[in-house]
Amino acid sequence: MRRAILALSSTLAGLVLLLSFKTHTPGVTGTGTTSAPGSGGTSTGSGPATGAGSADMAGGGHVGHSARPSRPRHRARAGTRTVTGTVASTTYGPMQVQLTLAGQTITKVSVLQRTDDGAESNQIDSSAIPKLIGETLAVQSAHINAVSGASYTSAGYRKSLQSALDQAGA
Amino acid sequence: MTMTARGGTTALAERLRHAEPVMGTVVSFDIPAAAAAALPPVLRWLHWVDATFSTYRDHSDVSRFGRGELSLAECAPELAEVLGECAVVRDITGGYFTTSPGGRLDPPGLVKGWSIERAGRMLAGAGVTSYCVNGGGDLQCAGEPAPGEPWRIGIASPLHPGRLATVVTGRDFAVATSGNAERGVHVVNPHTGQFAADLASVTITGPRLTTADAYATAAFAMGDVARGWAERVPGYEAFAVSPDGRTWQTSGFPAAL
Repeated sequence: MRRAILALSSTLAGLVLLLSFKTHTPGVTGTGTTSAPGSGGTSTGSGPATGAGSADMAGGGHVGHSARPSRPRHRARAGTRTVTGTVASTTYGPMQVQLTLAGQTITKVSVLQRTDDGAESNQIDSSAIPKLIGETLAVQSAHINAVSGASYTSAGYRKSLQSALDQAGA
Repeated sequence: MTMTARGGTTALAERLRHAEPVMGTVVSFDIPAAAAAALPPVLRWLHWVDATFSTYRDHSDVSRFGRGELSLAECAPELAEVLGECAVVRDITGGYFTTSPGGRLDPPGLVKGWSIERAGRMLAGAGVTSYCVNGGGDLQCAGEPAPGEPWRIGIASPLHPGRLATVVTGRDFAVATSGNAERGVHVVNPHTGQFAADLASVTITGPRLTTADAYATAAFAMGDVARGWAERVPGYEAFAVSPDGRTWQTSGFPAAL
């Protein structure tokens, strides 16, 4: 049993790259709950300005979103879309990844930015990035709907697995 | 069914995900897209709970009750309900869920789980038969995310951020996890006054989040003795991760692995 648990943990390691995700492409979700960086007129208040779903956490937009059932998400889900992560600090240095999704399925993971501060880092990159990409894709096999963990604050939510799921499932 | 591949688009039941910042955390909803109209009243109610039960707001009912400015009868009736739940949990947990070091009942310690459970019941009352409400890592789920499939809930590893320790499945159930991972050490064993340190995190599953959440807090304070305790609590199961990475779970824990 424990071996299986450890194996699963390993396949999920790549999720860390998703943690600071935000929807980058306008209209990605088709629901108006997220917005492109810089358009954040609604990103004021207690919500973090730069984190995942910052527009989502801006208070006013939520009820409005819910009150617009005429803008169904399947419109966005039907086609291919991309979401781009913010630059994330990883043990391998700063990285930025882009996911391509068809519906809810991740079809491609691209690394848009990698460390470029020395031979050692590059060496780590070349071996580690493909592995991390593979692990990110493996998340799908876990088929997780939601995540339970020690209580997070609204700030901690940005880094949470649940945030990544909310973003990817949007 | 968040990131899950499905056969055809026709088989893909449309889901709506919503993340609401309230009560100092973010509450995530996963409901059928067709049930969107049921959500706004629930969100408004959660903000009402936040205002009524916040100990950080001087003028909340809870703050005024705590200072003796309001009698219980003068407060929102929900406060009496929550206090009643607190007293029951305190007794079942042998005093481990008291709440504050002084032994006073602590509505804030219970109100989040209670309000998430209630939010789920409000959705059910509006005819929503499939939902998952996640209040800062504590969840109340109902029905199925897709026909024939149970909810699959990842349990975050307290030792490796971004990883999962295990996965649990269920249909109508609650999952609550208590630990030090996100907010720093904050649970005190009320019997010793010492910070709980036996476990890195403990997860409780069961029918109701109000109790599961409080049991998780109590079990975390108990440490390893929580295993035997949880085996004796009917309807609830426990899973724990030690600081060294070892895990244990009660006999009926619904692990999917």
